[in-house]
Amino acid sequence: MTAVLRPTLARCLWTTPLFAALAVFVTFACRAIFNMDPVMQENTFLTVAYIFGSIGFIVGIGGMDYWWTWITGGQLDPNDHSQHGAKSWRDYFKFNTDHKVIGIQYIVFTFIMYLVGGLFAEVFRAELAKPGMQSITNGQYNELISSHGTIMIFTFMVPVFAGIGNYVIPLMIGADDMAFPRLNAVSFWLLPLAGMILLSAWAYGSYNTGWTAYPTLQDQSPFGQTLFQIGVIIAGSSSIATAVNFLVTIVAMRAPGMTLFRMPLLCWANLATSALVVAATPFVAGAMFMAMFDREMGTHFFTTAGGGTALAYQHIFWCYSHPAVYIMVLPGFGIISEVIATHARKPVFGYRAVAFSSAGIAVLGFSVWAHHMFASGMQSWLRVPIMFATLLIAVPTGIKIFSWVGTMWGGVIRLTTANLFAIGFIVAFVIGGLSGVMLASVPFDLSITNSYFIVAHFHYVLFGGSVLTVFAGLYHWFPKVTGRMYDEKLGKWHFWITFIALNGTFFPMHYQGLKGMPRRVADYAPEFGWSNTVITISAIILGASTLIFVYNMIHSARHGKPAGANPWGSLTLEWMVSSPPPTFNFPTTPRVIGGPYRYGEEGVKHAVFPDEQPAETEKVGA
Amino acid sequence: MKSLNVLPLVILGTVMGAIIGVLLVVLRTLPEEASAQARSIDDLYAAFLLFSGIIFGIVVLVMLVAIFRFRARPNDTRDGSNVHGITWLEVVWTVIPFILVAAVAFVSWPLLNENNVSGAAEKSGQRIHITGYQFGWKYTYLNEDIGIKDSQDLVVPVNVPIGFDITTMDVMHSFWVPAWRMQMGATPAQTNYASATPSKIGEFEIVCAFLCGVGHTQMNSAVEGALVTKVKVVSQADFDKWVADTKAKAAAA
Repeated sequence: MTAVLRPTLARCLWTTPLFAALAVFVTFACRAIFNMDPVMQENTFLTVAYIFGSIGFIVGIGGMDYWWTWITGGQLDPNDHSQHGAKSWRDYFKFNTDHKVIGIQYIVFTFIMYLVGGLFAEVFRAELAKPGMQSITNGQYNELISSHGTIMIFTFMVPVFAGIGNYVIPLMIGADDMAFPRLNAVSFWLLPLAGMILLSAWAYGSYNTGWTAYPTLQDQSPFGQTLFQIGVIIAGSSSIATAVNFLVTIVAMRAPGMTLFRMPLLCWANLATSALVVAATPFVAGAMFMAMFDREMGTHFFTTAGGGTALAYQHIFWCYSHPAVYIMVLPGFGIISEVIATHARKPVFGYRAVAFSSAGIAVLGFSVWAHHMFASGMQSWLRVPIMFATLLIAVPTGIKIFSWVGTMWGGVIRLTTANLFAIGFIVAFVIGGLSGVMLASVPFDLSITNSYFIVAHFHYVLFGGSVLTVFAGLYHWFPKVTGRMYDEKLGKWHFWITFIALNGTFFPMHYQGLKGMPRRVADYAPEFGWSNTVITISAIILGASTLIFVYNMIHSARHGKPAGANPWGSLTLEWMVSSPPPTFNFPTTPRVIGGPYRYGEEGVKHAVFPDEQPAETEKVGA
Repeated sequence: MKSLNVLPLVILGTVMGAIIGVLLVVLRTLPEEASAQARSIDDLYAAFLLFSGIIFGIVVLVMLVAIFRFRARPNDTRDGSNVHGITWLEVVWTVIPFILVAAVAFVSWPLLNENNVSGAAEKSGQRIHITGYQFGWKYTYLNEDIGIKDSQDLVVPVNVPIGFDITTMDVMHSFWVPAWRMQMGATPAQTNYASATPSKIGEFEIVCAFLCGVGHTQMNSAVEGALVTKVKVVSQADFDKWVADTKAKAAAA
């Protein structure tokens, strides 16, 4: 009985409908009092029900309990850690303030969404296997591609890095936890909520306007489009709250001696990313609110029939969504720096240049949004400056790539699965980066934009780039998280199949786009038949390779060889505690005495615990 | 000095990359060139391939050789050399890409103006207003001597600069003729401009490049069940004949 009163998912089962019903009742009463016609309007009720039901869900899971007690003047025990740390698997389904639990919650949830999003892709790839329309209709096709993009970006690619960062960053900087553990837990629980809302859109005709959802096409969409907007706003809120948390954690909670230039590069990458999220994500939330008001409240921000400006949406949307591609790849860059330095047994080549290039990318990332709009009829003077800014981003990105290669040169390279993924990432990301440089050139872009060349480009960047870094990171920190080793043999199979299939899937798309095949089409000219067949077969293999990974992770977590505290011989702080780490991370606060990548120096350390020799062996800032 | 060992690899990578780039150009992965602008864009593309091939060749070759040369043997517990960076090398690989991307920008920039022939189109009198709708295009010839309104077919004379005013009645579309290397969006409540000089007689695909609803797939003259027709590029004489015929038909109706 008490299970439905304590903060659990069971409590959500009644708080969510309760809040929704209350909101519907108030709306109904208002409509009746003001004699609105019609009093019964399904979409209005559904919109308020979803928004307030979401609040009910957060209340139900326990997101407001502490704050509610505080506001109402109740008794609070600051040393109450009953919601901190996981004692059994059940704790992963609860409101938990431990960053390590939250990290795992994030990673597992986002990975489930990755499989869902991938499944959507497999369905429409099956349709595209040969010319002509076979199994699905145009309308269903549009719904599938829209869901694929939205699910992958908002509920996998952006939050999966929040998950890895959550687990690793506090450990790396020698902190007990994130700066705001309760906010952290609320940020996480907003995410399954956003995922459920986005998926529930399929019950209301889904959304069929791509993940970009431009007006005025979205005005014609069924109610699912409004759920898309609510879902994206909630996922965005989660993202902003997490970013604030990372910023404060990294700035304020570093262990003694951890100067900015002694931070591992993942911390730099997350710092830059978080600044980007805090500044950019409100734009997409704003665009979504305005578009939702247009749909559900009859405003005219973007509806041209009422005097709105459809193009304005594109500007506001890309003002977030271009920085978003850096949000989706910068933490990956950080992971690659960690993985390559550790597995090549060599300091990161040009640490400061790599750190500053993250900051440089974050700043430049704001000045390039309109390169998505070269063919949209925006002010034509804007094209050339945006082209320059876009091309300029290739410089800091290039610095990173060269630095990683420089790190490997002269190292002792261990070809573990984590390192293989890092190497595969570099190859794929160079291809994606180079097609990006091509597309930055306005005349070339105008001849090719909105074609499959674009699809090839952003899949090389997001799959060949971000997803491979996620795999590299997951393999790298798997022993730390579970205390056991993964199966290297299966890992290598996973890498090689993924890497070959990803090229088989996305490389022919360059050719298709150049030859004139537009994106987001359910059918195509017969000349693209064979290339699409190759792509579909590769896509199926790519999907299947994920199953090897899932099996390896689940099986090894239970039956793998015990890993010990530091199987890779890494120097950073997270490897100085047991695997998995104790609930409060460090038995005593560590003291950082040098840089994080001091490989090749005899007997040096990045940090010590106070009971060890507290000797300063490197000058601060060196 | 260790970094000197890399120099032959960089040269070899350059050569291999250049071969990849040239191969991709020779493989002709582009549609036929049917406008005066196509040539310059294809040259730009060829230059990009060469440049991309070289960078790809250098990075991947140096990395693969590093992996092979410096790979750990089984139970190898050594660390790599304690090199934290080589400043001059970092400066070099910051400055060279900077120069390269600046070159890309300064090569691309003039093409924007060169490819814009709307001024010449003004003189030639060939301006066509295109209206996108769900799902098709309507063409109105703005020259009063031609005076064809809301045609479902686009017929243009060869070797004459043509200006297009592109707009839409409903949602965003994008008017793309791959053979002309020309694309411009049709944005609600505004008119966008594009231009091209068709240089080849024949029929070329018209593709809607922007997701515009359930008929988007068929708003492409190349697919089965296409809702739009190809653009016909004809000689001036044939064009005049088409104009006369179309007008006669309209008068008879």
